[in-house]
This record gives sequence, structure tokens and C-alpha cells, in this order.
Amino acid sequence: MAIIISGRGMALVILVLSYILFYVFMYLGRKGREIPVRTLPPMAAIPEGIGRAAEMGRPVMFTPGIAGDLNDPTQGPQVLAAISILGYIARECAKTGVKLDVFMPIPTALPLTEETLRTAYMAEGKPEEFSPDMIHFIAEQSPYLTAVLGYFQRERPATNFLIGGFYYESVVMGEAGNAIGAFQIGGTANIHQMPFLVATCDYMLLAEELYAAGASISKDPDILGCLRGEDIMKFILVALMIIGFLLGLARVDALIKALGW
Amino acid sequence: MSEVLRREVVYLVTAIITIIMFVEFFFIGTWSVAEELRTWAIIIANIALGLGAVRLLAEHVRNIQRRRAGVWSFSIWLIILFVVMFLSGLAGYAAKHDPSSNPVYNWLFKWPYTSLGQTLYAITGFYIFSAAYRAFRARNIDAALLLIAGCFVILTNATVGEVIWSGIPVIGRWFLDYGQVPGMRCFLIVAAFGMLAYGFRALLGRERGFYGEVAGE
Repeated sequence: MAIIISGRGMALVILVLSYILFYVFMYLGRKGREIPVRTLPPMAAIPEGIGRAAEMGRPVMFTPGIAGDLNDPTQGPQVLAAISILGYIARECAKTGVKLDVFMPIPTALPLTEETLRTAYMAEGKPEEFSPDMIHFIAEQSPYLTAVLGYFQRERPATNFLIGGFYYESVVMGEAGNAIGAFQIGGTANIHQMPFLVATCDYMLLAEELYAAGASISKDPDILGCLRGEDIMKFILVALMIIGFLLGLARVDALIKALGW
Repeated sequence: MSEVLRREVVYLVTAIITIIMFVEFFFIGTWSVAEELRTWAIIIANIALGLGAVRLLAEHVRNIQRRRAGVWSFSIWLIILFVVMFLSGLAGYAAKHDPSSNPVYNWLFKWPYTSLGQTLYAITGFYIFSAAYRAFRARNIDAALLLIAGCFVILTNATVGEVIWSGIPVIGRWFLDYGQVPGMRCFLIVAAFGMLAYGFRALLGRERGFYGEVAGE
């Protein structure tokens, strides 16, 4: 008797295999095995951007975009990953005394954003510098976008962080940020918005880099282990693609049938 | 409840919900618990929206109280319109269980709000144009290749391309249908793995940002 929903069997196998690999490399990382990872230029540029704001005496702006709520399966993780990066940005801002403005259009992410900022300022020993007023909530895409554009014109932030799940607001904000001469770091896993952020930002976290950014900051063995696991899974998938291509040439559809199990 | 215990409870709730959703997605059966949890998520999201509205009002009341330069006059407008929309929507709901049945609500939403939203969306075209201009400057070999591919795609979409040379739309469509697809799918796959790994760390309570903690804490 079948217990797995038809067509999802191979996805389950790949998921379980991925989790096993992630866990094994997380374990090895915790045991002290060195897992080299390249420095992500956008993450290395964050202190530079905040230092620029400190020199210019202007604020720093962060926004995660409005592509989806936290319970959206594709956009939610991007917003969560962006909030993780916001924690690092907030710490750097607290260190240098730079004003941070967060435009958060996702209501469900508000408590986590507030908690992350409060924790970041406390970690730097400056809890009194945190204020909930740093977080500006504007629901709906057009009002949110208008508020950010107005903010750009009034406050002229020195550095903008456009990191998260974006829709068309990415190109508008990116270009408006360029018009005021802001240094910009972008990041998204939404492939339809990547070209806009690449064109308008100085640095860009592309796709998986958004989720791996934490490894670049903390060298956390758990994140590094997962990265190694992801790399191995990518090799497996590439191998499957090549095998599938060759079998397709020979008109053998066994692999396609197996993947559709 | 101590800070450590509070954290453990959050880890536990996250893990239980993840496992329920996982089982529901892959295994045959009637998983009414998962459906119930999704309803909870909608309710929580709506409560969060209410909290967001309160935060929005509080922020703009403070702007007015402090006479924040360049902002406070807009804050007055925001509060007036918020109250009008809220009350008219409520009146519509009370009368016919539909906010849009109120003519004031309907008019404000249909004409000023939708028109302004569409105007903003329309200016995206100009921003895309200026972004494309910046991206297409042939500063190095990669940018030059991008410029060439971009020109073919633009001329394919503009009907004049076919008049100039019949091969332009063929090449342009090749870029659209084959040239860019492998790259985009590659991003899609690696982003999916990134998401899987992020979810796995969150499930095990090892993704610190997921729980409001920060790197280096």
C-alpha cells in the first residue's frame, strides 16, 4: 500500500539525503573539521557602508521588500534570512553610532525585527540607543514604496540595504538610491528581481548567498556544514542532469520515471 | 519563564509544526491538524496586521506631537485617511458584511488609491530604462556581452527589429528561450538548497537569526 503521495517520492528522497548530509557536515564542523568558505564581498562591504554613513553623518536604511509574508513558502525564508543579516548591520550601526532606519512592510515580521534590533543593541552594550521608532511599518506595496522614496529625498541615507524578497519595488528603490548617491547592497533569491538589484546595487547577495551570509560573518560551524552539504547535493544534481541528458539521447526514460515517483 | 526555557519552547514549537507540515506534504492521509495550523497562521497574521496598524498610528501621532520637519503634515493626512477608511469600511461591513458596499470606502479605494498605485507602477518603466542604461555600459567584456544580448532582446520585442534584419528576432528569442534559462534555473536550484539548509538549521534550533538572535552574540 502506497503511503507516499504520488510524484513526491523522489523529492522526499532528495530532502532526506540533503538533511543527512547537512547534519553530518554540521557534526564534523562542530568536531573541529575545517570547512573553508570564501568571504562574500557584500558581507565584507557592510562595515564599509556603515563607516561611510558615519563619516557623512547620514543614516543607514534597511528594507526586506514586500514580496510575501513570513508564511509564504518562498518569500518567508528570504525575509527571515534578511532579518538575520539585519542583526549584523544593527550591531555595526550600534558600534559606530550610526542611525538605522528599517522599513518593514511585513506585519508578521515586526516582532522578530524588533527583537533582533533590541538584541543587537544590547549585545553592543547600548540598549538605550534602541528605539522601536527605528522600525517603520507601512503595509501595501505602493504606500510602502512611496514612503521609502520620500525618506530617500528627505533623509538622503548614505547606505541602503535592499535585502530580502522583492518585487518591482527593487528597481524603483535601487534607482532612487542611486539618484541620491547612496552606497547600496542588495540581496534576493527572487530570480525575476536579481537583474534589477545587480544593475542598481554596488554589491549583491545572489540566491543561495542570501542564506549563507551568516557563515561569512560568524564562521558558525553549523552554517558552514550546511554549505558543504549543499555543495555535495549540487554535484549530485549536476551528475543526475548529465546522466539524464545521456539517457535522453539514447531514448531511455528510466531516470525520468524514477524522478516522477 | 527563564530566557533559556523560553528559547527551548520556541525551538520545540518550531520543530513540531515543521514535522507536521513535512508529514502532510509527503504522506497520504487526512491531516486536519496541518489545515488547522494554517488557519492559525492566517489568524496570527491578521493580529499582526492589527498590531502593525497600531504601530503605524503611534508613529505618526509622535511625528505630529514633535512637529517632525517635512513629515508631520503628511502624518495628519495619514491619520485622517486612516480613520475615514476604517470607519467607512466598518460601516460597509456592518450594513452588508462587505466593506466595499460603503460608497465612501469604495470611491476612496477605487479612484484615488488604485490610480495612485498604478501611477507608481507605471514609473517603473523609466526606472528600468535608467537601470538598463547603467548595466549596459560596456566597461568590460562581460558587460559588453550583456549589452549585445540586451540589444537583440530589445530589438526582438520592438517590432522594428524584424524590419532591420529578419534574423534579429530569431537570435533574440534564442537568448530568451535558451540563453538565459539554464542560468536562471541554476539560481533557482541553488536558492532552493539554500532555503532547505536554512529550514534545517531552524528546525534544529541552530539558525540564530530565525529566533531573533544576532551573530557574535
